[in-house]
Amino acid sequence: MVRAALAPHRNIGKGPVAGASLVPAISVAVASLLTALPIVSMSGWYPDFGFMALIAWRLLRADAWPAWWAAPLGFFNDLATGHPIGFSIALWTAAMLALDLADRRTMWRGYWLEWAIAALLLLANEAAEWRIAQVMGASLPFLTVVPPLLISVLAFPIVAWAVSRLDRWRLGR
Amino acid sequence: MAGLIIGIVMLGLSLVAPKSYASVRGVALDATAPVTGGLRAVTATVGGVFTGAGNYWDAAHQNARLKQERELMLQRIVEARAISLENRELKTVLELREHSRTPVATGRIVGSSFNSPRRYAIFSAGGADGVRVGMPVRSAKGLIGRVIDAGSLASRVLLVSDRASIIPARILGNGQPVISQGRGDGTVDLRPLEVGRNPFKPGDIVITSGTGGLYPPLVAIARVVRLDDDGAIALPLADPSSTSFAMVEHPYEPAAVAEEIGGSMDAQ
Repeated sequence: MVRAALAPHRNIGKGPVAGASLVPAISVAVASLLTALPIVSMSGWYPDFGFMALIAWRLLRADAWPAWWAAPLGFFNDLATGHPIGFSIALWTAAMLALDLADRRTMWRGYWLEWAIAALLLLANEAAEWRIAQVMGASLPFLTVVPPLLISVLAFPIVAWAVSRLDRWRLGR
Repeated sequence: MAGLIIGIVMLGLSLVAPKSYASVRGVALDATAPVTGGLRAVTATVGGVFTGAGNYWDAAHQNARLKQERELMLQRIVEARAISLENRELKTVLELREHSRTPVATGRIVGSSFNSPRRYAIFSAGGADGVRVGMPVRSAKGLIGRVIDAGSLASRVLLVSDRASIIPARILGNGQPVISQGRGDGTVDLRPLEVGRNPFKPGDIVITSGTGGLYPPLVAIARVVRLDDDGAIALPLADPSSTSFAMVEHPYEPAAVAEEIGGSMDAQ
């Protein structure tokens, strides 16, 4: 006991990093920018990194950013990914509102419940993308939504883990 | 809540009048394209190592077969040259005017919309090189698509395999008119214009017909891989993921395209 207290503890003297309150928003913007990666895919099954980072942060913390920041972050995502402008603004704000409701309604939260909520939101994202593509003259069968949805649902725990590591780093824990 | 309303209003605006955000989207393209272009060489090399290794497998047989094919090809080239000479002479007799086919700009496919159901590619030439919205893009192997957003350094191309990309085409050989429409997964759907017997055979090549005036005629589009009940599924010949260079050309009939772009913008 005494020995443990005397041992050099690396948390002592370490506080949040400079600009810690901006880290969540910046990391979401960086995730949006991942679409600039030079991957030329013919299937479009890669997950929406920006949206996954957004809901991972929001599920981890209710105070990651002021609620209205979802709109400018969505605008940035629209510009980076080439969605019609306004798509992510509306969808991301709606996701924030939905998660506020989920916070109010759920009595307890665990790993599986959070994954299920994330899966529902990812389904909403894919379905909205499908619907907008249909409105823009590219009507595909709804089943084409399934492979990218499965991939992003399975990739979500990885994003959630990365976000929790980032959260510990920014708070200096 | 206000964000939701703003988002829906902006989304409605960009669906009804896509031109209203053209400049903002162009700037965003310019900002991200250098990153994409710089890293593309790396991924292309890595991809090349893996696909290249497969070529060494059974190399002797492959070599013999390729030599045989080359002999056949040489004969065909001589025949084709003779035909094109004859063709030119006949055209001068008929006094048909040829459109000059100088490319507007050449560039590389450096990125794609890999997380969306739409099939777009980022092309490394933009407004500064003379690229304008509506111009067709092709590579040496075949048609790639057409420009839908143009920044000054980069542009966004609607690929042949996008669902909204509908191209008037013909079967090479019997010249039967067909329509090519993308399926969103890298393949295209082919439908004959005339109802009746399915005109496709596996291995058929489909070329642009030049109808509509946007795409130049006689550019290869796709090769039939599978038949379905009233049409066929085909694989584009110009695979954007392995295309090194592509060129942007002038619309085949600029007047028709100006009209068509106005119409399609309203329709979108």
